[in-house]
Amino acid sequence: MLHVVQSAARPISDAVLRSMFAARKSIFVDLLKWDVPVLDGCYEIDQFDDVHATYLILAAPDGTHLGSARLLPTTRPHILDSVFSGLCDSDPPRGADTFEISRFCLDRRLNARERRTVRDTLVSALVEHALACGITTYSAIAEMGWFQQILAFGWRCTPLGLPRMIDGTMLGALRIEITPETPGLLADGRNVASVLRTDHRAAA
Amino acid sequence: MAAQFTRVVEAAGNVHDLELAVAAITVELGFQYFALTHHVDVIAERGSAIRLHNYPARWADYYDRNALGVSDPVHRASHMTSVGFPWSRMPEMIPLTRDDLRVLALGRDQGIGDGFTVPAHVPGEARGSCSFANEAGRPIPHDMLPLAQLAGMFAFEGARRLWAMRGGLRMPPRPMLTDRQRDCVLWVARGKSDWEISLILGVGEETVARHIKQACERYGVNKRTYLVILALFDGTLTFSDIFRRRYYPFPG
Repeated sequence: MLHVVQSAARPISDAVLRSMFAARKSIFVDLLKWDVPVLDGCYEIDQFDDVHATYLILAAPDGTHLGSARLLPTTRPHILDSVFSGLCDSDPPRGADTFEISRFCLDRRLNARERRTVRDTLVSALVEHALACGITTYSAIAEMGWFQQILAFGWRCTPLGLPRMIDGTMLGALRIEITPETPGLLADGRNVASVLRTDHRAAA
Repeated sequence: MAAQFTRVVEAAGNVHDLELAVAAITVELGFQYFALTHHVDVIAERGSAIRLHNYPARWADYYDRNALGVSDPVHRASHMTSVGFPWSRMPEMIPLTRDDLRVLALGRDQGIGDGFTVPAHVPGEARGSCSFANEAGRPIPHDMLPLAQLAGMFAFEGARRLWAMRGGLRMPPRPMLTDRQRDCVLWVARGKSDWEISLILGVGEETVARHIKQACERYGVNKRTYLVILALFDGTLTFSDIFRRRYYPFPG
């Protein structure tokens, strides 16, 4: 089930949001050791989780978090312009039709096959959401391994600048173009992946 | 230059176009040669794996003769990182055996100098890389390496799409494990005995032994160590499974 949550003014009051912030804490703080704030010892919530953020959350029918992503308007302070502006050769893309994807997050409890399904569903949901809301561009920051996976989804990506080593991790910024053709490109991307996949067990 | 290159790669409708585009960016970057490849034995795979390069014939012969696709120290080092590295840094990344050193020395005899390899890994698929190289005595352009990183990633993605379109990568069916067999192999990979695995999974010790024996049979091997290695190699298991690191997020 996909939830699109537009306001996180009182984040802990909503079960689906709560489950997402807890999953984010589990991944970004416990697993990846990011130095980001934790609320009440169990929720990862930073300064961008405010009323301007939009969340796309995939949850099981009982509300259990499966995967999620955060969208920030680029007309307000966001990560690429506030924290990692050095990753863009020129100004970060900004505009009412441009949103930044961050905290793309797949639940740690998923196995490899479930993770792939949730990931593909979430990526499709991002594109459908964009098309429904008049978003034409997403920007994102990615570590190099994840960068290669983002390209492999099949949508049109352009680097915004040269990758840089930041606190021991090489990060790059990219622009993802969303047009009516994008759902077809994602379908092509999934076909490419199914031809190249070597772990047939997970493809079954 | 990077954005322009990504468009050219995206527009490449066939392998020849891609080869021209990558060869052109290679020169722009200050390198002489490139090699885009899946890390499999390309001879054994009979053209089904990605392989595109403009290495001089004697280099390519040397790589093929030595069946370096899988054991090439450059490829092994590229499995240790998601970030491009100059070949001169390899000794810091992986232990080099006497054979590796011999292979590298042989390469130098063929005139292969320093290079820069960008690892490319899409989970569930064969690992690969894009390397840029110079002949011996010609230094690699350090200032251009961040751009080479980007070019390598986009070039590999371009090759993925073209090779899938050719349908060439339909690999022979690989051994498939049941979920239970895979669970057992995973715990073997984590160093547990049959008895310990039986407690962890809540089944009898004989059941665990049977699952592992059957998994060995599916892979046609006798030793469980070899079973773990093959399961890792074909992606049935990943190192992340074993060490529970299994996630690549958008940082930020």
